[in-house]
Amino acid sequence: MGSRSGSVRRLRRALGVLLLGCGLGLAGCATDPGAGQGVDPQAATLGLTAAPAGLDLTTTGGAAIVQALLGNVYQGLVGLDETGAIQPLLATDWQISPDGLRYTFTLREGVTFHDGTPLTAEAVAASIEHIPSWSANSPSQLAAIDHVEIDSPHQVTLILADPDFDVLYRLAGPLGIILSPAALADPSALTSTAIGTGPFLLESYQVGTRLVLARNPDYWGTPAASPQVVLRYFADPSAAVNAIRTGGVDALYGAEAYDLLVSLAERDDLAIATGATQGVVVVTMNTTRDDGDTPLADPLVRWALTRAVDKKAVVEVATAGLGTVLPSPALPGDPYGLDPDAPDLPDLSYNPDAARALLAQAGVRDLDLTFTVPNRPYAQAVAQVLQAQFAEVGVRVRLVTQEFPAVWVQQTMGNRSFDLTVVNHVETRSLWGYADPGYYWSYDSAAARGLFDRARAATDQAGYAAAVSDAVALIVADAPGIWLYSPPNVVVTRPGVSGVPLDDLGVGIDLSRLRVA
Amino acid sequence: MVQAVARRLGVFLLTALVASVVVFLLLSVLPGDPARVQLGLEASAADVARLRAELGLDRPLPVRYLTWVTGLLQGDLGISLATRTPVAPQVMAALGVSLLLVTTAMVIAVVLALPIGVVTAQRRHRLDGIVLAGVTQLGVAVPNFLLGLLLVALFAVRLGWFPAGGWPAAGSGPGAVVPYLVLPALALGLVRAAILARYTRAAVIDVEREPFLRTARAGGLTATQALWRHGVRHALVPVVTVTGVEFSALIIGAVVIENVFVLPGMGSLLLRSVANRDLIAVQAVVMVIVLLVLVVNLLVDVVHTLIDPRLRGTS
Repeated sequence: MGSRSGSVRRLRRALGVLLLGCGLGLAGCATDPGAGQGVDPQAATLGLTAAPAGLDLTTTGGAAIVQALLGNVYQGLVGLDETGAIQPLLATDWQISPDGLRYTFTLREGVTFHDGTPLTAEAVAASIEHIPSWSANSPSQLAAIDHVEIDSPHQVTLILADPDFDVLYRLAGPLGIILSPAALADPSALTSTAIGTGPFLLESYQVGTRLVLARNPDYWGTPAASPQVVLRYFADPSAAVNAIRTGGVDALYGAEAYDLLVSLAERDDLAIATGATQGVVVVTMNTTRDDGDTPLADPLVRWALTRAVDKKAVVEVATAGLGTVLPSPALPGDPYGLDPDAPDLPDLSYNPDAARALLAQAGVRDLDLTFTVPNRPYAQAVAQVLQAQFAEVGVRVRLVTQEFPAVWVQQTMGNRSFDLTVVNHVETRSLWGYADPGYYWSYDSAAARGLFDRARAATDQAGYAAAVSDAVALIVADAPGIWLYSPPNVVVTRPGVSGVPLDDLGVGIDLSRLRVA
Repeated sequence: MVQAVARRLGVFLLTALVASVVVFLLLSVLPGDPARVQLGLEASAADVARLRAELGLDRPLPVRYLTWVTGLLQGDLGISLATRTPVAPQVMAALGVSLLLVTTAMVIAVVLALPIGVVTAQRRHRLDGIVLAGVTQLGVAVPNFLLGLLLVALFAVRLGWFPAGGWPAAGSGPGAVVPYLVLPALALGLVRAAILARYTRAAVIDVEREPFLRTARAGGLTATQALWRHGVRHALVPVVTVTGVEFSALIIGAVVIENVFVLPGMGSLLLRSVANRDLIAVQAVVMVIVLLVLVVNLLVDVVHTLIDPRLRGTS
């Protein structure tokens, strides 16, 4: 008996050690940083895909952080309405001088930052003059701004070194946010706080998981409809779909599991709607390989490849038919676009026979191309469809998968040792990349650059749009890429949820009207 | 005794040091520039170069390594390249989630596996034992993410008993975690239970052939009494080893389950940090795991000596 109770005692000790381990686990869980308040019962929860890498817009690129903070926490002098038109925000109105070099803004009165400091002309000037020290969100897009003059406590004038009509549009984007004097005094604070003038205060961000916004009680405009908005991030699209089916989120924005969504559509208590995005899925044909000549330098070959592609079939496979087929690098919502009657526009419609004829005309046989493909589901789907379509016209394509963005950016974009690649460019007005011969799109056209310069020098929307439209026609005729489609912005809402914007304009998601009944 | 402790401590430090060098070197050859990844496709070369300098990525490798290691020795895990905030709170929060998930799963696994393993070993020539062993064999073959998806489909989507995923907001109180923990811990634990039950069964069968059990039976115990009184404890030695190894492996290996259930654990943190090329965060995660594995191994050794008196003489 004695030995038995001894062994039991020792077993108990062994179990004690195991339980100690469990206890340590629990203790670890309790050390959660940034413990905030709980979730407001009236909070609205929105499910999103990609999570922001960080909170600091001046050093963090990518759409996720802009979607969360722009317009909701931070605001600019101007903003975009739901149609994409530029509207007054922190400025009540503005004038552009006839030479396009002076932009005068009248500031809204009675606006305060979330920390209580008032919005003044000094604060606006300091914030805009700080833009050149940003590294993310392409500060060069506002490089035309030379300095800011303070005309009065409520009026500032932006002085441009060269005319650039895009300045107004860029001021409505992330670069245009007015940072608080406190943030400018200590930019490192931007990594953990966000002091803006918008309808929401940033309450907390658990990296990669959830970002919580609380209604700003002292907002200058219409207060936010919900006292609290929780943004939850789902790396896995099917986990996002499960969350909305079980009420874990009230709405999904930019849902990506298209095939699952089709099954969701059969459940009548969930509403599914499709809006537009700023995304342009483009196959780039590299004309300037670093390691030698390429048949893609011949426009006939590029036309042939373009005519080999059935864009409708691509959209069907990659987006379950929900995307919008694109004839050019311009989006349907842009102020410019492709004029189908533009002179010298070749017929580039889908026609495999014509593609084969063009290849014969170019004298190209047994074309063998390398296609670097980002490891994203859309890119993999697109590449496989294109591989089959190119095979139809006798072009062999070897697919090489690369991790996106890290490896792809270095090896495809950086080294230029690819023939074909495909990327969904989500940057707003991405077609301006065709004005830069150094970009990986390798498009070098003096005529197109001249048109882009003319657009910059415009002082009104009509002159700007006309010049860019002409450039678009030139680019399409030169065919440096095959513009496939713009992905859909799929919005799924549970019953009683309203105010989720449908179109993704490449700026913030306007959460101020989001509410759960 | 002092010598043994000193030797163990020496091995511990050496392993940590080697791990730090290996991790650092591996990450330095990983293609992809953190600054470029952070700034996106349209960033100009000048902007990328400026951010590289700001992040200190333009300094020579040995300098970066020394900065990191000296910080580590002072308990400073560094500043994340992506969020620009200290890495330590992120890692600790993720570690808390992972430890809780894995511990719960392992408790489920052990509680189920030990009796099932012993019973299937004892009754391996009878129908019920064979059927039960077949079930564990089947369990080994089921990937845990599949089990996770099935659990979600049934208990979250169909029945609505538990949330489909997620983790309560910080500061919601310890009780709030329970509903979020049940399904992922089951998905992980049930599959582990099946694996562990197979190990236990094999260990018990081995033990049954030992002469000391024959002696115990000769002394008047029935086969079952002999097994429970003398055999199971002996069989526990390999089972504890496997449990320890599985525990360490699961801290990051649970990443698929973390993905299915949207849990902010170590696996998700590592995946995200690698995708963002947040080298500082990756280094921190890996070093914490290395330390954890070393500690778990130490605990396994301690438990061994508690179970098996023969091991005590060696130290």
